[in-house]
Amino acid sequence: MKNFYLYSAVSTALIFMSASAQAIDSTGCGLGSMAWRGQSGPVPQVLAVTTNGLTGSQTFGITFGTSGCDPNGRITGGTQKMVFNFIENNMEQYALDAARGEGETLDTLAGMLNVDKNVFAAKSQQNFASIFPNSDVDAIYVTQQIFAMIKA
Amino acid sequence: MSKFIFLIVCFFVPFHVTAHESMAESQEWLSLVHYHPNFLGRYKGSIDSESFYLAKDGRINPKAELEATIKLFVDGSDKQKMCLFPARYIFLLNNGLIEKTNVKCEEFEKFKEDLQPSGITMIFTDAYMNNPSSLFGHTLLRIDTSRQGTQMIAHGANYGAYYNDENGFLYAVYGLTGGYFGGWTIKPYYNIINTYNNIENRDIWELNLNFTKEEQDLFIAHLWELGHTQTRYYFFTKNCSYMLVEAFDAIRPSLKLADQFWLQTIPLDTLKAVYRKKNLVKNVNYRPSRQTKIIYQKQQMNAKQQKALLSIIKDENYTQLTELSNEEKTIVLETAYQYIQYRFIKKEFSLSEYRKKSFSLLSARNKLPSNKENNMEKIRGHSPLLSHESMRATIGVGSRNGENFQEFSYRPAYHSLTDNNYGLLPGAEINFLNFKIRHYDQSQKTVLSEFDLLDIRSLSPIDNLFYPISFAVSLNVSRETHPQTQKEGYVGNGKVSGGGTIEVIPHVYSYIMGSGYGSYGGFLPHNQYVGIGLSGGIFIDYKYFKLLAEVEKQIGSNWYADKTKYHIEANIPILRNLGMAVEYRYDNNQQGKNVEEYLTSLRYYF
Repeated sequence: MKNFYLYSAVSTALIFMSASAQAIDSTGCGLGSMAWRGQSGPVPQVLAVTTNGLTGSQTFGITFGTSGCDPNGRITGGTQKMVFNFIENNMEQYALDAARGEGETLDTLAGMLNVDKNVFAAKSQQNFASIFPNSDVDAIYVTQQIFAMIKA
Repeated sequence: MSKFIFLIVCFFVPFHVTAHESMAESQEWLSLVHYHPNFLGRYKGSIDSESFYLAKDGRINPKAELEATIKLFVDGSDKQKMCLFPARYIFLLNNGLIEKTNVKCEEFEKFKEDLQPSGITMIFTDAYMNNPSSLFGHTLLRIDTSRQGTQMIAHGANYGAYYNDENGFLYAVYGLTGGYFGGWTIKPYYNIINTYNNIENRDIWELNLNFTKEEQDLFIAHLWELGHTQTRYYFFTKNCSYMLVEAFDAIRPSLKLADQFWLQTIPLDTLKAVYRKKNLVKNVNYRPSRQTKIIYQKQQMNAKQQKALLSIIKDENYTQLTELSNEEKTIVLETAYQYIQYRFIKKEFSLSEYRKKSFSLLSARNKLPSNKENNMEKIRGHSPLLSHESMRATIGVGSRNGENFQEFSYRPAYHSLTDNNYGLLPGAEINFLNFKIRHYDQSQKTVLSEFDLLDIRSLSPIDNLFYPISFAVSLNVSRETHPQTQKEGYVGNGKVSGGGTIEVIPHVYSYIMGSGYGSYGGFLPHNQYVGIGLSGGIFIDYKYFKLLAEVEKQIGSNWYADKTKYHIEANIPILRNLGMAVEYRYDNNQQGKNVEEYLTSLRYYF
C-alpha cells in the first residue's frame, strides 16, 4: 500500500512535470516567452505570429528555440550557456556561416567568446568538417567543438 | 526661532501642494501613467490592470495617483510595490518630490543586467498575407545591447494579445471587440529574426531611435512597469503599435505620438509617425527575409548558375557546377542551402532528408574559399517609409448606361492593386471599409453606390522555385440595377477565390482564379443566389503605370447571377500620394439589360 502511494505520488509528479515542461516548450523562446514573473493565464502569444515553432530537436536542423531557453525569455547565464542557447537557436545559420567563413552568427559568437572575429571566422571555416562531422550532430556537440576550437 | 520655523512650514506646505498640483497635470506625469483626456477634458489611464494604479481612483485622478506614488516611496516600507515602479521613482527623484531610497530591486537589476541596454530600436515586420491579423504588418521593439558581438543577442520586446486556439471567426470577433488581453513579452532578438525573416519570410525594418542615456534608462524602467500589466487588446486601435507609441510618449512626452492614433492604429502609420518626428530616428536598417534573399540571389545569377541551382535542388545533381567559377559556385550553393531551409519549413521534406541535403550542400560550399563579394547587404529593399499614406479619398466623374454621375469615395485603409505599391507587398491588396457615394445627374439622386467591408487579394507569381496560391476574399454591399425591371436596390455580396499567377514578362502578370460567391438582398429574385465563377486577368505593374484587366464568367443558382463581367482599371501614380485613374466596367447579363460604366477619378492618399 505504501508503495502504491509512492508510485502514484511519483507518477503524479512526473505528469505534472511533463505538463509544465510542455508549457515551456510551447512558449519557448520561439513564441513569446514570459518576460515577467507572476503572469498567469493562457500562454502569451502574439496575434501577428501564427507559425508555431517547429518541434524541438537538438540535432542539426532548424530548432528556433525549444529546450535550453531561459523561461524569462532572456539571454542570461555564463558564456557557455549563452553560446549553447545561441547555437541551439541558430544552428542552421551558423552552419552556413561556418562553411563559407563569414556571416552575422560568426561575428556574434566571436563577441560572446571574446575572440577576434576574423580569426574566429577563419577557424570556423577551416574546422567546419570537425564541428559538423555528419548530418546528425547536435547543439551540445557543436558547442563543445567551438570551445575546443578557440582553445586550440 | 520657533516662529521662524512655523513661518517656513507655513510657507512651505502650500508651496508643496501647488507643486503636486502642477506636477500632476504635467505632460511628464500624464504620459508616464498613460493618461488621456476624454472629450470632457477628464483624464483616464489607458492601462487596464488595476495593479498599475496606486490610488483607489488613480485611473481617473492623476493628482491622487501622484500623491499615492509619493507616499509609497516616502513611506518606503512596501519594497515589492516600489520595485514595480522604477520609472515613477526616477520621475519623482528628478522632480525633487522624493529623496533617494536605499531599496534594492534585485529582479529589476537582473533584468537590466541580462539586457545590458545601449539603445532602442523600433522594428517593423512586413505584411503577411497568410494571416488576417498580420495583413498590416507588425511592430515591436528591440532593446539594443552593449554586449560584445552583434544585435542578434539584443532582446526583442513585443506587445501582443494572449489568445487561445480560437477558430478564425471567434478570433476575429475577439480581436475586434477587445475579447483578448494584451501584454508584453521579451525574447532574444535572434528568435525574432528567426520567426519573421526565416519562418514567415517577412522583411524586417529597423529604426534606431535617438534616445539619450537618461531616456533609455527611463524606458527600460517603464518597460518593467508595463511588463507587469495587461490591457484589453483591440485589433484596430489599442494594438501592438499603439502601446509602443504610448511607451515612447511616456519617456519623451513632447512626441505626443499616441494622440495621432485615436481613430485607427495601422502599424506602418506608427512607423511613419516615428520616422517623421524630429531627432528621433538615427538610422534605418533593412533585414531581408529568407525568401527575399533567395529571389535576389537568383536574379543576380547568370543562365548557367540558374541551371546549376535548379538541377541541384530538383535532382541533387551537382555536375552542372563544374562549368562555373568558384565565386559563381558559392552563390549557387548558398542559395540552394537557403532554399532547402525554406522548403523544410514548408514541411516539404522529412527531417532526415532535409539534413542530408543541407549537409551535402554545406560540405560542398566549405571546399570553396570565402566570397566577400557575395554580400547580402547589397539588397536594398523598398522602404515602407516611402509608401503612400493609408487613407484614400477619390473624386471622379463617370457615366452609367449613359447617365452621368459624380463620385466620391473614402477608404480608411490600406492599398489597392492599382495604387502605387512602392514599399508595400507587391501584388497584394487590402481594402477596408471603402465606400462610394454617387450623385446621378438625370435622376437627381445621391446614393451610396458601394460599401466594401473588406477586400483582400494576393497575386503572387509562381516560378520554378516558389508555388504560392493566389487568392481573394471580399465582402461588400453594392447598389445594383435589376436587369429586367430596371429597379435599383442593395445587394450584399460575399466571394472567395483561389488560383494561380505567373509573371509573363517582367512587371506583367497573368492570373486565373476560380471562385464561389453568394449574394443576398430583398430586391433579388428569391432574395438570394449562390454561384461559381471563373476569372482570368492581367496585372501590369510598372512604376508609373498600373493596369488591371479582368474577365469573369459567373454561373449562379438563378438567372440574375448568370453574367459575364469585364473590368479594366488603370492608374498613373503621379506623385507618392496622388494618382489619376480610369475605370471601365461592362456586365453582360444573360437576360435583360447590360450595365456599362465609365469612370475617371483622382486618387489622393493622406
